[in-house]
Amino acid sequence: MTRHHPDSLSLMEYSAGNLTEPYALCIRLHLDQCAHCRSRVDTLNSLGAVMMAEQPKVSVSDTSFEQLMSRIDSAPEPVSPIAEAPRMSPLQKLLGDDINDLPWKRQLGDVSVLDITEKFPGQGERVVLQKLVAGGKAPAHTHRGTETTIVLQGAFSDQKGVFNQWDFVVLNEEDEHKPVAVGCEDCITMSVLSAPLKLTGTFTRLLNPFIR
Amino acid sequence: MTTLDKQPAKGEGRSKDPWGALLEKVGKSQDRAAYHALFEHFAPQIKYYAISNGLASHAEELVQEVFISIWRRSCLYDWKKAAASTWIFTIARNQRIDMLRKMQRTSAEMAVETEDLWQIPGENEDEPVTSLHRLMSERRIRESLSQLPEEQITVIAKVYMEHKSHQMVADELDIPLGTVKSRVRLALNKLKVILQDQNV
Repeated sequence: MTRHHPDSLSLMEYSAGNLTEPYALCIRLHLDQCAHCRSRVDTLNSLGAVMMAEQPKVSVSDTSFEQLMSRIDSAPEPVSPIAEAPRMSPLQKLLGDDINDLPWKRQLGDVSVLDITEKFPGQGERVVLQKLVAGGKAPAHTHRGTETTIVLQGAFSDQKGVFNQWDFVVLNEEDEHKPVAVGCEDCITMSVLSAPLKLTGTFTRLLNPFIR
Repeated sequence: MTTLDKQPAKGEGRSKDPWGALLEKVGKSQDRAAYHALFEHFAPQIKYYAISNGLASHAEELVQEVFISIWRRSCLYDWKKAAASTWIFTIARNQRIDMLRKMQRTSAEMAVETEDLWQIPGENEDEPVTSLHRLMSERRIRESLSQLPEEQITVIAKVYMEHKSHQMVADELDIPLGTVKSRVRLALNKLKVILQDQNV
């Protein structure tokens, strides 16, 4: 049961389709596991439908419907109902079956990272996976810019509370924390970093939310 | 079937959503008259949606793509899970995103597809259905919207119809981001979307 949710403004930007791909993925992964937020997004999608209905209408060209039907009739593959095939989860597609078994780069002590920015070409954000070994501690650190994190496995705690699987965390400059992986699993998170990294200090090569 | 005119009979089917009943006909039997009625109603909305989103030169194309998608997916549509217009809005949104993604990409490599990121409601969901809530919500939203001040509606319209982030809306209206956010929050409060925001 997730307890930390995206805020309504983010869900609205999601529903409107205005988020970049990494942010949309974070929201999507949360929604898959959170009926509460799905219901909020349902309402927001309906808001989108109402907004669309209340705007001006623009006539389509006279032949538009005919073109559509001839496309449907002449498609080599019948443009027919798509099968209800079980789909892989977005996370599986992106990272394979086992997120523990990735080319993790050990950073310092209990923390490993994997930069997956290249999976989102042209999006302008850095996307980073981080792993904190079960029971492990990350050094205290602050954040620069805004960082959106979703917990993919396990849980961590800091002074703000316990963040479980599929919980949603947004951290910014004011947040200094010292996360600890709780429970018996390694804690794995995915973070989207909006601002370019400014690397300073001892832990220059390390990233949030555990370390920056 | 020439009797289908712009506004299908109220109460058609059990769904009490006339467009949903038409969508189900398309899904079950590829009913072309039903499909045409949906096209007549929704295509002009979608064309405006494309234009306002900056896709004026691709507006007809977007309408086509949306309706191809509606044809293909109509068998997955379940009126108990989403009102037809909500379902169609999400398809229009996804096709817009898809079109932009394809224009911006030089290579066809997309690790995740648009639908992996933006789900169409009611597909691949095994949860108990809250049909009443979902079917009621559009009417409730329309009623709530009519009570909102113009400045709140303007902001929401820009977010939904012009593909603008809150920051871009603030820049365009030359008001602080905080003002945009508070207008949206006031509106969403009215729409009961805000149930437990932590940082409001």
